Amino acid sequence: MTEPTFRLNRRSFVAGAGALTAGLAAPSILRAQAKELVVGAASSQKTWSEEIMIPAFEKKYGVKVIFEGTRSLVNLEKMQKNKGNQYLSVVQMDDPVMIIAVAEGLLDPITAARVPNSANLKPGVTHMDGMWVNYLQPWVGIAYNKEKVPTAPTSWADVFDPKYKGRIILPSLQNTEGVLNLFLASYLKTGKPMAEAQLDINSAFAKMAELKPNVLMSYTQEGQAYNLLEQGEAYMVMGAISSVALARKSKGAPIELAAPKEGTFSMPSGIALVKGGPQPELAAAYIDMLLSPEIQEKVTQATFALPTNGKVAPPAGLSNLTIHKVDWANVSKSRADWVSRWDRELSL
Amino acid sequence: MKAGRPAFDPVLLLAAPALAYMAVVFALPVLVLILRSFGTPTGPSITAYVSFLSDGFNWRVIGNTLRIAALTSLLCLALGYPTAVALARSKGAVQALLLVAIILPLSVGVIVKAFAWQIVLRRDGVVAAFMVMTGIWDQPQLLLFTESGLVIGAANVFLPFMILPIYSVLKLVDPNLQDAAATLGAPPLYRFFKLALPMAMPGIISGTAIVFSLAASMYVIPTLLIGDRFQTLATLTARAFLLMRNEQLGSTTATVLLVLAVSIVMLSSWAVKAKGDSR
Repeated sequence: MTEPTFRLNRRSFVAGAGALTAGLAAPSILRAQAKELVVGAASSQKTWSEEIMIPAFEKKYGVKVIFEGTRSLVNLEKMQKNKGNQYLSVVQMDDPVMIIAVAEGLLDPITAARVPNSANLKPGVTHMDGMWVNYLQPWVGIAYNKEKVPTAPTSWADVFDPKYKGRIILPSLQNTEGVLNLFLASYLKTGKPMAEAQLDINSAFAKMAELKPNVLMSYTQEGQAYNLLEQGEAYMVMGAISSVALARKSKGAPIELAAPKEGTFSMPSGIALVKGGPQPELAAAYIDMLLSPEIQEKVTQATFALPTNGKVAPPAGLSNLTIHKVDWANVSKSRADWVSRWDRELSL
Repeated sequence: MKAGRPAFDPVLLLAAPALAYMAVVFALPVLVLILRSFGTPTGPSITAYVSFLSDGFNWRVIGNTLRIAALTSLLCLALGYPTAVALARSKGAVQALLLVAIILPLSVGVIVKAFAWQIVLRRDGVVAAFMVMTGIWDQPQLLLFTESGLVIGAANVFLPFMILPIYSVLKLVDPNLQDAAATLGAPPLYRFFKLALPMAMPGIISGTAIVFSLAASMYVIPTLLIGDRFQTLATLTARAFLLMRNEQLGSTTATVLLVLAVSIVMLSSWAVKAKGDSR
């Protein structure tokens, strides 16, 4: 016998590591006793979460909510690293990142049994059999300067009007709202239904190339774009997010956000239950409360987004706005190629 | 080595703290970065460079980077050299005032400046109004988000880095030299090309090297002044790391930029040395 009698093979190593993790899991039990619920979200969601959602939840359930506002990919990393010993109970992440989390088995489905309000959601906001849902729909439209453009644009095609030479701002493809513009361009070019138009990216780039003379700049920092729009150097921003544009308007900026007749898309805004996360009942209750009509009403007012609970009326004038579904899996797969193509075909 | 000196001058040790600091915070990360650009799952390889350099678009990006850096250096030189001469000639309160005017803008952040330029350079801004008033332009033109706008903005930020090296050389030149040459009958242009310019050359070369390297690697200024539609090696690098999470591409573009910037600095220091030897 030449082999040693004891060898640390992969299986015994995994077993040992499992025992170790069990030991490390102790703090989460302590956390449970202290009645805390950790929500992993994005820093941009902090304001309304801390002003509306969290106080209401803490009051009703007598728990302390720890809001970790970072970014979608950071939340994903936290779940990957703590698999088997999660400390997050609820995650709010962008839809494309949710797809990765589902593939890695990090999420638990949201069911009507655990989250009763999920039964009232509008069609199109529940994804992959409830692995995640959209709690809000911040929609994209055409933001325009009211002094420079006295009549509101009604169609995405208005942006292509030659009279706006050098006056249109686009988001870069690094910004998700910039990707959505590609789909709208393809739709305008082909007239295909939005679901098919999304897949015809050649038509999207062909149409965007027609816009080149009108493009003033393509931004990565939205603050700069809105400055130019408010100063009147730019007349329109194609793909302006409601939560940004309308928040600036409400602070007195001379701008307005038009909802084009072709319909539009909403920005990613998913919420999900972490598989094996502490306090599963409280986690489900948190999501249920966020989807409840009372909280949806308050949060949509504060963020200028559309509600996803079908029982909540959308903001005035937006009841007919169609929100088309985005094929996020396709976006995740192709985005790097699209960015590289954008560089070549839309550069100065 | 000169006779009578010890083989090792202990004074050189004064550079040790800075060297150690730079080794840890600069050389080591750069080494990791360079190594990463050669790393593939199957071992070290130059495939990243081959695929980067065989793409015609990337040559356009390299061209953009070098052209903007060269134009920025040129504009800085055109504005900076006369300023440095005036600064070297001035005395007392005037000199102090000039120095403050040169150095103070450095304390204003680039982002603040970029927003100010938007006001100045836009179609109904001051510059366009002046150009139309003087009849140079028929109608207001767009300077924002153009290469010209980018060069104007970048030169604004980097101007002090051109003026100060030239000034530090010029202030050591005896002001009587010009008068002496004039007394001997040298005409003004001759004095400029044969006397003033050669003496300022070491300052001009080091100022140009500094401005060129800064302009070739600038990231925030092009992001704000020209946007996403004009890529340089620096913006491509940032995007590879931050958006695409393609570390190898990012390390490759960063290394290409590093090689270009280091070559410029080496070339210019060689030029300074050659100039010094010929004197």
